[in-house]
Amino acid sequence: MNKSEVMIETVDLQKYFKDLHVLKGINTKVTRSEVVAVMGPSGSGKSTFLRCLNRMEEPTSGHIYVEGIDIMAPYIDINKVRTEIGMVFQSFNLFPHLNAIENIKLAPMHVRKISDKEATERGMELLDKVGLVEKALAYPEQLSGGQQQRIAIARALAMQPQIMFFDEPTSALDPEMIGEVLDVMRRMAKEGMTMIVVSHEMGFIKEAAGRILFMADGVIVEEGTPDEIFNNSQHQRTQDFLSKIL
Amino acid sequence: MTQDNNSMETPSRLADVKAKVGQIPLIRKSQFLYSYLAFLVVYGIFLLPSKGSPSPVELIIVAIYFLLAIVWAAIVFSDELKSNKLKTAIAFGILILLGWLYYMYSTARWSEMSQLFFNVEVIRKAWPYLVRGFWTTIFLAIAAAIISTILGLLLAVFRSFNSPVLNFFIVLYVDVFRAIPIIVLMMVIYYAFPFMNIRLSAIMSGIVALGLNSSAYVSEIFRAGFLSIKKGQIEAAHALGLNAMQTMRLVILPQAFQVVIPPLVGNYVASAKDTALASSISIIELLKAGLAQKSLLANPSPLIFVTVLYMVMFVPLTQFSGYLEKKMQSSRRQVNV
Repeated sequence: MNKSEVMIETVDLQKYFKDLHVLKGINTKVTRSEVVAVMGPSGSGKSTFLRCLNRMEEPTSGHIYVEGIDIMAPYIDINKVRTEIGMVFQSFNLFPHLNAIENIKLAPMHVRKISDKEATERGMELLDKVGLVEKALAYPEQLSGGQQQRIAIARALAMQPQIMFFDEPTSALDPEMIGEVLDVMRRMAKEGMTMIVVSHEMGFIKEAAGRILFMADGVIVEEGTPDEIFNNSQHQRTQDFLSKIL
Repeated sequence: MTQDNNSMETPSRLADVKAKVGQIPLIRKSQFLYSYLAFLVVYGIFLLPSKGSPSPVELIIVAIYFLLAIVWAAIVFSDELKSNKLKTAIAFGILILLGWLYYMYSTARWSEMSQLFFNVEVIRKAWPYLVRGFWTTIFLAIAAAIISTILGLLLAVFRSFNSPVLNFFIVLYVDVFRAIPIIVLMMVIYYAFPFMNIRLSAIMSGIVALGLNSSAYVSEIFRAGFLSIKKGQIEAAHALGLNAMQTMRLVILPQAFQVVIPPLVGNYVASAKDTALASSISIIELLKAGLAQKSLLANPSPLIFVTVLYMVMFVPLTQFSGYLEKKMQSSRRQVNV
């Protein structure tokens, strides 16, 4: 496994919503095991950027390469590509008609076609990893927000993805639950998972992120290590934003 | 006016309320209610005409009597201190009074009722035909339910693709079949289509008409079910690599069915009741069998019996769908909390 292998690359990524120019040419690369934090004021396009990377949102133009494959190419099997990219949402989006372990094993069984028994075993290991083995049979409505989000992470990990996307994973959580979710994410970062995280959790970013992309008005204004961005920002936009959230 | 004056001298707007605390209004006094009741009894004994067909003046006297009784009941009902038990008893009392007044002054042949409406001998003779009619009704209802579910679900799935052209035709279909009265649809299919050499048997015409009508409603029910599923659910399914079919089968349908079942059952019940309309195109279902036997045996007992049978069939079903709806609402409330 090559540490500098490029997992995701975007070339001049553009996105319009009708007349609204949301992404104005994004060029960046994410290499294996890198943890990239995407920050920026609301409306800067950071969530749209992330959602374009697995074509959850259809980009208007530009190129996206996932493990070297141009996923904007016509007739590409995007479902197959998405199995390599785990995604965690702000609103958890667990399937309410399934319990925790069923949520986790649904995709491995139906997409990866592994047996129920094997999927259950691996699912239980993941539940153990996020500290929720005892909630295996609980339904989402019986779980707290923090627990739901940890199950959602386990569900994404069950597909054994190469890359994980986090779209504001702690924004919908009560303050006392943020820690338990960030702990799980921290551990994943340490284990070498390639991660792109849209978040403003400063503590987590300082500790776990290798690089910050600071976005505003649909462009990457500035990028650098947490130290460079937080302590030595070169741009007025970045400084203004940081002064508001610090 | 200074602020001081204002607070010192303006009398409270609640002064009259305060003055009346502890007073019982006239109509709430028990003496009043008992006197009123005694008056009703006296009125009943001395002023009400004797049994039989009343003259117009007598009819007015009866109407006034009933009105006065209703007013008395309304006074007790609006009394916040009276118990619910008493109020229930009074409600029954009013019903009994109404029945008694009708019994007294209608010219119906009450003495022959058991002979005319509940004639066991006649029903026994009609029985085999009524049973056959009953099974035809059940067959119509089930066949229409199956057709409408398949068609309605398909329409709703196609509608979820959100294609403008497709949607135009689906909306047209739904509007057209909701607009045409079922009985008209049946007659067109059974009496008009044969001229075009489109020939369906009576029973097929009935099933097709009921199915088409019901499918329009079913598709709307399923559409509402699909719309109730949040966009995030579909996104989560796609993010896990599920394709469109798998997302529909594993994520959308199981959740939509939960939402859809109460209105769906309600729709099946309504559609099953509409099978009675099939009697208009010579299908011998329950109603037609009852009518035919009524004419044949020159006694309305079969028709009354059929009515009771419909009641026995549909009262539990209607209650069941009401129960499902309530259960659904309460489980939703739990989720929201």
